[in-house]
Amino acid sequence: MSIIFLRNVLRFAFLVLFQVLILNNIQFSGYINPYFYIYFILVLPFETPRWLLLISAFLLGFFLDAFTNTLGLNTAACVLIAFLRPFVIRAISTGTEFMTGHSPSIRNQGLKWFAYYSIILVMVHHLTLFYLEIFRFTEFFQTLLRVLLSSAFTILLVFIAEYLSFSGKK
Amino acid sequence: MHYLLYFLRKQYFYFLFLALEVIALVLLFNENAYQNSALAHVSNGVAGSILNISSNISEYFSLRRVNRILAEDNANLHSNRAEAFYRADTNAFFHKDTLYKLEYTYISAKVISNSTNKRNNFLMLNKGHRQGIENHMGVIIGDRIVGQVVSISDHFCWVMSLLNKDSRISGKFKKNNQLVNIEWNGGSYLKGDVKEIPKHVVVQKGDTIITSGNSDIFPEGLLIGTIDNYTLAPEENFNYATILFATDFNSLSFVEVIIDMMRKEKDNLRSSFKSNER
Repeated sequence: MSIIFLRNVLRFAFLVLFQVLILNNIQFSGYINPYFYIYFILVLPFETPRWLLLISAFLLGFFLDAFTNTLGLNTAACVLIAFLRPFVIRAISTGTEFMTGHSPSIRNQGLKWFAYYSIILVMVHHLTLFYLEIFRFTEFFQTLLRVLLSSAFTILLVFIAEYLSFSGKK
Repeated sequence: MHYLLYFLRKQYFYFLFLALEVIALVLLFNENAYQNSALAHVSNGVAGSILNISSNISEYFSLRRVNRILAEDNANLHSNRAEAFYRADTNAFFHKDTLYKLEYTYISAKVISNSTNKRNNFLMLNKGHRQGIENHMGVIIGDRIVGQVVSISDHFCWVMSLLNKDSRISGKFKKNNQLVNIEWNGGSYLKGDVKEIPKHVVVQKGDTIITSGNSDIFPEGLLIGTIDNYTLAPEENFNYATILFATDFNSLSFVEVIIDMMRKEKDNLRSSFKSNER
Protein backbone atom coordinates (compact mmCIF):
# COMPACT_ATOMS: atom_id res chain seq x y z
CA MET A 1 0.00 0.00 0.00
CA SER A 2 2.72 2.44 0.99
CA ILE A 3 4.60 1.60 -2.21
CA ILE A 4 1.56 2.52 -4.26
CA PHE A 5 1.23 5.73 -2.24
CA LEU A 6 4.89 6.62 -2.71
CA ARG A 7 4.74 5.85 -6.41
CA ASN A 8 1.78 8.19 -6.81
CA VAL A 9 3.45 10.99 -4.85
CA LEU A 10 6.51 10.71 -7.08
CA ARG A 11 4.32 10.65 -10.16
CA PHE A 12 2.55 13.75 -8.86
CA ALA A 13 5.83 15.67 -8.46
CA PHE A 14 7.22 14.45 -11.78
CA LEU A 15 4.10 15.36 -13.75
CA VAL A 16 3.83 18.84 -12.19
CA LEU A 17 7.47 19.62 -13.02
CA PHE A 18 7.23 18.06 -16.49
CA GLN A 19 4.17 20.20 -17.19
CA VAL A 20 5.45 23.55 -15.92
CA LEU A 21 9.07 23.24 -17.02
CA ILE A 22 8.66 21.53 -20.38
CA LEU A 23 5.12 21.26 -21.76
CA ASN A 24 4.12 24.81 -20.85
CA ASN A 25 6.98 26.06 -23.00
CA ILE A 26 5.90 24.18 -26.10
CA GLN A 27 4.98 26.59 -28.85
CA PHE A 28 2.68 25.43 -31.66
CA SER A 29 1.06 28.50 -33.19
CA GLY A 30 -0.83 29.29 -29.98
CA TYR A 31 -3.40 26.57 -30.52
CA ILE A 32 -1.87 23.49 -28.95
CA ASN A 33 -1.28 23.48 -25.19
CA PRO A 34 -1.07 19.88 -24.01
CA TYR A 35 -2.01 19.37 -20.35
CA PHE A 36 -0.49 15.95 -19.79
CA TYR A 37 -0.31 16.38 -15.99
CA ILE A 38 -3.89 15.08 -15.60
CA TYR A 39 -2.45 11.64 -16.37
CA PHE A 40 -1.99 11.56 -12.59
CA ILE A 41 -5.76 11.61 -12.04
CA LEU A 42 -6.39 9.12 -14.85
CA VAL A 43 -4.19 6.41 -13.39
CA LEU A 44 -4.94 6.65 -9.67
CA PRO A 45 -5.83 3.15 -8.41
CA PHE A 46 -9.47 2.06 -8.63
CA GLU A 47 -9.91 1.73 -4.88
CA THR A 48 -8.62 5.24 -4.09
CA PRO A 49 -11.06 6.71 -1.54
CA ARG A 50 -13.24 9.24 -3.27
CA TRP A 51 -12.36 12.06 -0.89
CA LEU A 52 -8.68 11.43 -1.59
CA LEU A 53 -9.42 11.60 -5.30
CA LEU A 54 -10.92 15.07 -4.91
CA ILE A 55 -8.26 16.36 -2.52
CA SER A 56 -5.33 15.15 -4.62
CA ALA A 57 -6.91 16.62 -7.76
CA PHE A 58 -7.35 19.90 -5.92
CA LEU A 59 -3.69 19.93 -4.86
CA LEU A 60 -2.54 18.97 -8.36
CA GLY A 61 -4.47 21.83 -9.92
CA PHE A 62 -3.35 24.23 -7.25
CA PHE A 63 0.36 23.46 -7.83
CA LEU A 64 -0.09 23.91 -11.56
CA ASP A 65 -1.85 27.23 -11.05
CA ALA A 66 0.81 28.54 -8.69
CA PHE A 67 3.34 28.12 -11.50
CA THR A 68 1.30 29.94 -14.12
CA ASN A 69 -0.47 32.60 -12.04
CA THR A 70 -3.88 31.29 -12.99
CA LEU A 71 -5.15 30.52 -9.47
CA GLY A 72 -8.29 28.38 -9.53
CA LEU A 73 -8.24 27.65 -13.26
CA ASN A 74 -6.52 24.26 -13.37
CA THR A 75 -7.87 23.54 -9.88
CA ALA A 76 -11.49 23.84 -11.01
CA ALA A 77 -10.93 21.64 -14.08
CA CYS A 78 -9.04 18.98 -12.09
CA VAL A 79 -11.61 18.77 -9.29
CA LEU A 80 -14.34 18.40 -11.91
CA ILE A 81 -12.74 15.43 -13.66
CA ALA A 82 -11.85 13.81 -10.31
CA PHE A 83 -15.52 14.10 -9.41
CA LEU A 84 -16.64 12.62 -12.75
CA ARG A 85 -14.07 9.82 -12.76
CA PRO A 86 -16.08 7.26 -10.70
CA PHE A 87 -19.19 7.90 -12.80
CA VAL A 88 -17.30 7.55 -16.06
CA ILE A 89 -15.71 4.31 -14.87
CA ARG A 90 -19.12 2.95 -13.85
CA ALA A 91 -20.73 4.05 -17.11
CA ILE A 92 -18.25 2.45 -19.51
CA SER A 93 -17.49 -0.73 -17.53
CA THR A 94 -19.34 -3.99 -17.85
CA GLY A 95 -18.30 -5.03 -14.36
CA THR A 96 -15.63 -7.57 -15.14
CA GLU A 97 -12.63 -5.33 -15.59
CA PHE A 98 -11.85 -4.44 -12.00
CA MET A 99 -9.29 -6.12 -9.86
CA THR A 100 -8.19 -4.80 -6.49
CA GLY A 101 -4.81 -3.12 -6.46
CA HIS A 102 -5.06 -2.13 -10.09
CA SER A 103 -5.07 1.23 -11.79
CA PRO A 104 -6.87 2.07 -15.01
CA SER A 105 -4.52 1.11 -17.83
CA ILE A 106 -4.46 -0.30 -21.33
CA ARG A 107 -2.93 -3.54 -20.08
CA ASN A 108 -5.63 -4.22 -17.48
CA GLN A 109 -8.74 -2.89 -19.15
CA GLY A 110 -7.94 -3.10 -22.82
CA LEU A 111 -7.39 -0.47 -25.46
CA LYS A 112 -11.03 0.30 -26.15
CA TRP A 113 -11.99 0.79 -22.51
CA PHE A 114 -8.99 2.99 -21.82
CA ALA A 115 -9.54 5.03 -24.97
CA TYR A 116 -13.13 5.83 -23.98
CA TYR A 117 -12.08 6.59 -20.43
CA SER A 118 -9.17 8.89 -21.23
CA ILE A 119 -10.85 10.68 -24.13
CA ILE A 120 -13.95 11.55 -22.06
CA LEU A 121 -11.97 12.85 -19.07
CA VAL A 122 -9.35 14.71 -21.11
CA MET A 123 -12.03 16.41 -23.23
CA VAL A 124 -14.02 17.46 -20.15
CA HIS A 125 -10.88 18.83 -18.53
CA HIS A 126 -9.76 20.77 -21.60
CA LEU A 127 -13.25 22.14 -22.30
CA THR A 128 -13.54 23.42 -18.73
CA LEU A 129 -10.03 24.79 -18.69
CA PHE A 130 -10.07 26.68 -21.99
CA TYR A 131 -13.56 28.12 -21.61
CA LEU A 132 -12.95 29.21 -18.01
CA GLU A 133 -9.69 30.79 -19.15
CA ILE A 134 -11.28 32.87 -21.87
CA PHE A 135 -14.70 33.27 -20.23
CA ARG A 136 -16.41 35.03 -23.07
CA PHE A 137 -18.37 33.77 -26.03
CA THR A 138 -16.93 36.01 -28.72
CA GLU A 139 -14.07 33.58 -29.35
CA PHE A 140 -16.23 30.45 -29.11
CA PHE A 141 -15.05 28.57 -32.20
CA GLN A 142 -11.46 29.67 -31.89
CA THR A 143 -11.46 28.26 -28.36
CA LEU A 144 -13.19 25.07 -29.51
CA LEU A 145 -10.41 24.54 -32.02
CA ARG A 146 -7.83 24.97 -29.25
CA VAL A 147 -9.75 22.46 -27.09
CA LEU A 148 -9.86 19.83 -29.85
CA LEU A 149 -6.23 20.20 -30.94
CA SER A 150 -4.90 20.29 -27.38
CA SER A 151 -7.03 17.32 -26.31
CA ALA A 152 -5.75 15.30 -29.25
CA PHE A 153 -2.18 16.09 -28.26
CA THR A 154 -2.75 15.31 -24.57
CA ILE A 155 -4.43 11.99 -25.43
CA LEU A 156 -1.50 11.12 -27.68
CA LEU A 157 0.88 11.76 -24.77
CA VAL A 158 -1.30 9.66 -22.44
CA PHE A 159 -1.14 6.73 -24.87
CA ILE A 160 2.61 7.10 -25.30
CA ALA A 161 2.98 7.05 -21.51
CA GLU A 162 0.74 3.98 -21.31
CA TYR A 163 2.78 2.07 -23.86
CA LEU A 164 6.05 3.10 -22.23
CA SER A 165 4.92 1.74 -18.85
CA PHE A 166 3.45 -1.28 -20.65
CA SER A 167 6.76 -2.27 -22.18
CA GLY A 168 8.63 -1.34 -19.01
CA LYS A 169 6.74 -3.82 -16.87
CA LYS A 170 7.02 -6.79 -19.23
CA MET B 1 -30.16 16.49 13.38
CA HIS B 2 -29.12 12.85 13.30
CA TYR B 3 -30.73 12.48 9.95
CA LEU B 4 -28.92 15.55 8.66
CA LEU B 5 -25.56 14.17 9.78
CA TYR B 6 -26.38 10.83 8.22
CA PHE B 7 -27.36 12.58 5.02
CA LEU B 8 -24.13 14.60 5.00
CA ARG B 9 -22.04 11.49 5.57
CA LYS B 10 -23.79 9.55 2.89
CA GLN B 11 -23.51 12.32 0.33
CA TYR B 12 -20.13 13.66 1.47
CA PHE B 13 -18.61 13.13 -1.97
CA TYR B 14 -20.98 15.63 -3.55
CA PHE B 15 -20.51 18.19 -0.81
CA LEU B 16 -16.74 17.88 -0.85
CA PHE B 17 -16.79 18.31 -4.62
CA LEU B 18 -19.01 21.39 -4.37
CA ALA B 19 -16.84 22.89 -1.63
CA LEU B 20 -13.57 22.39 -3.53
CA GLU B 21 -15.07 23.63 -6.79
CA VAL B 22 -16.41 26.75 -5.10
CA ILE B 23 -13.00 27.44 -3.55
CA ALA B 24 -11.39 27.08 -6.98
CA LEU B 25 -13.90 29.38 -8.67
CA VAL B 26 -13.61 32.01 -5.93
CA LEU B 27 -9.84 31.97 -6.37
CA LEU B 28 -10.30 32.27 -10.11
CA PHE B 29 -12.82 35.08 -10.25
CA ASN B 30 -12.00 37.08 -7.14
CA GLU B 31 -8.39 37.94 -7.79
CA ASN B 32 -8.08 40.36 -4.91
CA ALA B 33 -9.03 37.75 -2.35
CA TYR B 34 -6.01 35.76 -3.44
CA GLN B 35 -3.53 38.44 -4.39
CA ASN B 36 -3.68 40.09 -0.98
CA SER B 37 -3.50 36.88 0.99
CA ALA B 38 -0.55 35.26 2.68
CA LEU B 39 -1.16 32.32 0.34
CA ALA B 40 0.06 34.39 -2.58
CA HIS B 41 3.39 35.01 -0.84
CA VAL B 42 3.93 31.33 -0.13
CA SER B 43 2.89 30.00 -3.52
CA ASN B 44 4.69 32.74 -5.46
CA GLY B 45 7.79 32.07 -3.37
CA VAL B 46 7.76 28.30 -3.92
CA ALA B 47 6.93 28.50 -7.62
CA GLY B 48 9.45 31.32 -7.99
CA SER B 49 12.36 29.42 -6.51
CA ILE B 50 11.75 26.36 -8.71
CA LEU B 51 11.28 28.44 -11.87
CA ASN B 52 14.43 30.32 -10.88
CA ILE B 53 16.48 27.11 -10.95
CA SER B 54 15.06 26.21 -14.34
CA SER B 55 15.79 29.66 -15.76
CA ASN B 56 19.33 29.60 -14.35
CA ILE B 57 19.93 26.61 -16.59
CA SER B 58 18.11 27.80 -19.70
CA GLU B 59 19.62 31.27 -19.48
CA TYR B 60 22.89 29.91 -20.92
CA PHE B 61 21.17 29.12 -24.18
CA SER B 62 20.18 32.72 -24.80
CA LEU B 63 23.45 34.44 -23.84
CA ARG B 64 24.34 35.28 -27.41
CA ARG B 65 21.09 37.14 -28.03
CA VAL B 66 21.15 38.84 -24.62
CA ASN B 67 24.65 40.06 -25.36
CA ARG B 68 23.60 41.52 -28.66
CA ILE B 69 20.65 43.37 -27.08
CA LEU B 70 22.92 44.69 -24.32
CA ALA B 71 25.48 45.90 -26.83
CA GLU B 72 22.78 47.67 -28.82
CA ASP B 73 21.41 49.29 -25.69
CA ASN B 74 24.89 50.39 -24.67
CA ALA B 75 25.55 51.94 -28.03
CA ASN B 76 22.23 53.71 -27.80
CA LEU B 77 23.03 55.08 -24.35
CA HIS B 78 26.51 56.18 -25.40
CA SER B 79 25.10 58.14 -28.26
CA ASN B 80 22.79 59.95 -25.84
CA ARG B 81 25.52 61.03 -23.43
CA ALA B 82 26.46 64.65 -23.20
CA GLU B 83 29.96 63.80 -24.49
CA ALA B 84 28.48 62.52 -27.70
CA PHE B 85 27.18 65.94 -28.67
CA TYR B 86 29.13 68.65 -30.36
CA ARG B 87 29.61 71.57 -28.02
CA ALA B 88 29.76 74.98 -29.58
CA ASP B 89 29.61 76.67 -26.19
CA THR B 90 31.11 74.82 -23.24
CA ASN B 91 28.58 76.29 -20.87
CA ALA B 92 25.68 74.88 -22.78
CA PHE B 93 25.52 71.67 -20.79
CA PHE B 94 26.22 73.01 -17.33
CA HIS B 95 23.44 75.34 -16.42
CA LYS B 96 21.25 74.27 -13.53
CA ASP B 97 17.68 73.87 -14.49
CA THR B 98 14.63 73.27 -12.32
CA LEU B 99 12.67 72.27 -15.41
CA TYR B 100 14.21 68.81 -15.27
CA LYS B 101 13.35 66.48 -12.46
CA LEU B 102 13.81 62.74 -12.45
CA GLU B 103 10.45 61.09 -13.09
CA TYR B 104 11.26 57.50 -14.05
CA THR B 105 13.90 55.08 -12.86
CA TYR B 106 14.36 51.53 -14.06
CA ILE B 107 15.13 48.24 -12.34
CA SER B 108 16.57 45.43 -14.40
CA ALA B 109 14.98 42.02 -13.79
CA LYS B 110 15.42 38.53 -15.11
CA VAL B 111 12.46 36.69 -16.66
CA ILE B 112 12.28 33.32 -14.93
CA SER B 113 9.02 32.14 -16.45
CA ASN B 114 7.27 33.22 -19.60
CA SER B 115 4.55 31.98 -21.91
CA THR B 116 3.13 33.12 -25.22
CA ASN B 117 0.94 30.14 -26.11
CA LYS B 118 -1.89 30.62 -23.60
CA ARG B 119 -4.88 32.86 -24.00
CA ASN B 120 -3.73 34.75 -20.89
CA ASN B 121 0.01 34.99 -20.59
CA PHE B 122 2.12 36.01 -17.61
CA LEU B 123 5.82 36.42 -16.91
CA MET B 124 7.53 35.88 -13.58
CA LEU B 125 10.45 38.18 -12.75
CA ASN B 126 13.09 37.67 -10.09
CA LYS B 127 12.46 41.02 -8.37
CA GLY B 128 9.79 41.74 -5.77
CA HIS B 129 8.80 43.83 -2.75
CA ARG B 130 12.33 43.90 -1.35
CA GLN B 131 13.61 45.50 -4.54
CA GLY B 132 10.86 48.12 -4.58
CA ILE B 133 8.48 46.58 -7.09
CA GLU B 134 4.83 47.53 -6.66
CA ASN B 135 1.59 46.60 -8.37
CA HIS B 136 0.73 48.26 -11.70
CA MET B 137 4.30 49.17 -12.55
CA GLY B 138 5.08 48.98 -16.26
CA VAL B 139 7.59 46.50 -17.66
CA ILE B 140 9.62 47.20 -20.80
CA ILE B 141 12.53 45.81 -22.77
CA GLY B 142 14.66 48.58 -24.23
CA ASP B 143 12.14 51.03 -25.62
CA ARG B 144 9.46 48.42 -26.28
CA ILE B 145 6.65 47.55 -23.90
CA VAL B 146 6.10 44.15 -22.28
CA GLY B 147 3.32 44.40 -19.67
CA GLN B 148 2.47 45.43 -16.13
CA VAL B 149 3.07 44.00 -12.66
CA VAL B 150 -0.04 42.33 -11.24
CA SER B 151 1.13 40.30 -8.24
CA ILE B 152 4.17 40.52 -5.96
CA SER B 153 5.87 38.49 -3.25
CA ASP B 154 9.07 39.31 -1.37
CA HIS B 155 11.49 38.32 -4.13
CA PHE B 156 9.35 37.69 -7.20
CA CYS B 157 6.59 39.30 -9.17
CA TRP B 158 4.10 38.25 -11.83
CA VAL B 159 3.73 40.44 -14.88
CA MET B 160 0.63 40.38 -17.06
CA SER B 161 2.04 40.57 -20.55
CA LEU B 162 0.42 42.37 -23.44
CA LEU B 163 -0.67 38.90 -24.56
CA ASN B 164 -3.60 38.73 -22.14
CA LYS B 165 -7.31 39.22 -22.50
CA ASP B 166 -7.30 41.75 -19.64
CA SER B 167 -4.51 43.80 -21.16
CA ARG B 168 -5.55 47.04 -22.85
CA ILE B 169 -2.85 49.51 -23.78
CA SER B 170 -3.52 53.12 -24.62
CA GLY B 171 -1.45 54.02 -27.67
CA LYS B 172 -1.26 56.64 -30.36
CA PHE B 173 -0.07 57.11 -33.90
CA LYS B 174 3.42 58.53 -33.92
CA LYS B 175 2.70 60.59 -37.03
CA ASN B 176 -0.36 62.48 -35.78
CA ASN B 177 -0.91 61.62 -32.10
CA GLN B 178 -4.35 60.09 -32.67
CA LEU B 179 -5.30 57.89 -29.72
CA VAL B 180 -6.11 54.19 -30.17
CA ASN B 181 -6.37 51.10 -27.98
CA ILE B 182 -4.28 47.98 -28.41
CA GLU B 183 -5.54 44.55 -27.38
CA TRP B 184 -4.63 40.93 -28.04
CA ASN B 185 -7.24 38.43 -29.20
CA GLY B 186 -5.28 35.22 -28.90
CA GLY B 187 -3.56 33.23 -31.63
CA SER B 188 -0.15 34.37 -32.80
CA TYR B 189 2.01 36.22 -30.29
CA LEU B 190 3.40 38.39 -33.06
CA LYS B 191 0.20 40.27 -33.84
CA GLY B 192 -2.41 42.23 -31.91
CA ASP B 193 -5.47 44.33 -32.65
CA VAL B 194 -5.75 48.10 -32.81
CA LYS B 195 -9.21 49.16 -31.73
CA GLU B 196 -11.07 52.43 -32.01
CA ILE B 197 -9.20 54.18 -34.80
CA PRO B 198 -11.14 57.38 -35.56
CA LYS B 199 -12.71 57.48 -39.02
CA HIS B 200 -10.80 60.49 -40.23
CA VAL B 201 -7.36 59.07 -39.55
CA VAL B 202 -5.63 57.86 -42.69
CA VAL B 203 -3.82 54.66 -41.81
CA GLN B 204 -1.06 53.09 -43.84
CA LYS B 205 0.74 49.83 -43.50
CA GLY B 206 3.90 50.39 -41.47
CA ASP B 207 2.61 53.29 -39.37
CA THR B 208 4.23 53.28 -35.95
CA ILE B 209 2.12 53.04 -32.79
CA ILE B 210 3.67 54.29 -29.52
CA THR B 211 2.37 54.53 -25.96
CA SER B 212 0.25 57.58 -25.27
CA GLY B 213 1.33 58.18 -21.68
CA ASN B 214 -2.31 58.48 -20.64
CA SER B 215 -2.36 55.48 -18.40
CA ASP B 216 0.36 56.15 -15.75
CA ILE B 217 1.74 52.68 -16.37
CA PHE B 218 3.96 53.50 -19.32
CA PRO B 219 5.66 56.82 -20.06
CA GLU B 220 4.89 58.40 -23.38
CA GLY B 221 6.66 57.34 -26.54
CA LEU B 222 7.52 53.66 -25.96
CA LEU B 223 7.29 51.50 -29.05
CA ILE B 224 4.28 49.17 -29.32
CA GLY B 225 4.46 48.10 -32.96
CA THR B 226 3.66 48.89 -36.56
CA ILE B 227 0.39 48.62 -38.46
CA ASP B 228 0.15 45.39 -40.42
CA ASN B 229 -3.34 45.13 -41.91
CA TYR B 230 -6.01 47.76 -42.09
CA THR B 231 -9.77 47.20 -42.37
CA LEU B 232 -12.37 49.86 -43.05
CA ALA B 233 -15.65 49.26 -41.23
CA PRO B 234 -18.10 51.61 -42.96
CA GLU B 235 -21.10 50.61 -40.85
CA GLU B 236 -19.32 51.21 -37.53
CA ASN B 237 -17.99 54.26 -35.77
CA PHE B 238 -14.36 53.22 -35.73
CA ASN B 239 -11.93 51.41 -38.00
CA TYR B 240 -9.75 48.48 -37.03
CA ALA B 241 -6.25 47.33 -37.78
CA THR B 242 -3.85 44.60 -36.80
CA ILE B 243 -0.50 45.51 -35.35
CA LEU B 244 2.85 43.76 -35.61
CA PHE B 245 4.31 43.93 -32.09
CA ALA B 246 7.74 45.48 -31.78
CA THR B 247 8.46 43.23 -28.80
CA ASP B 248 9.44 39.61 -29.39
CA PHE B 249 7.51 38.14 -26.46
CA ASN B 250 8.84 34.66 -27.02
CA SER B 251 12.47 35.54 -26.37
CA LEU B 252 12.38 37.77 -23.31
CA SER B 253 15.23 37.14 -20.89
CA PHE B 254 16.06 40.45 -19.21
CA VAL B 255 13.49 43.25 -18.86
CA GLU B 256 13.23 46.55 -17.00
CA VAL B 257 10.57 47.55 -14.51
CA ILE B 258 9.61 51.23 -14.61
CA ILE B 259 9.42 53.02 -11.27
CA ASP B 260 7.42 56.20 -11.51
CA MET B 261 8.85 58.59 -8.89
CA MET B 262 5.83 60.88 -9.16
CA ARG B 263 3.24 58.17 -8.91
CA LYS B 264 2.15 59.10 -5.41
CA GLU B 265 1.70 62.70 -6.45
CA LYS B 266 -0.42 61.66 -9.43
CA ASP B 267 -2.51 59.31 -7.29
CA ASN B 268 -3.05 61.99 -4.66
CA LEU B 269 -4.09 64.48 -7.26
CA ARG B 270 -6.53 62.03 -8.76
CA SER B 271 -8.10 61.05 -5.42
CA SER B 272 -8.40 64.65 -4.26
CA PHE B 273 -10.05 65.51 -7.54
CA LYS B 274 -12.50 62.68 -7.10
CA SER B 275 -13.39 63.71 -3.54
CA ASN B 276 -13.96 67.30 -4.64
CA GLU B 277 -16.29 66.12 -7.33
CA ARG B 278 -18.65 64.45 -4.88
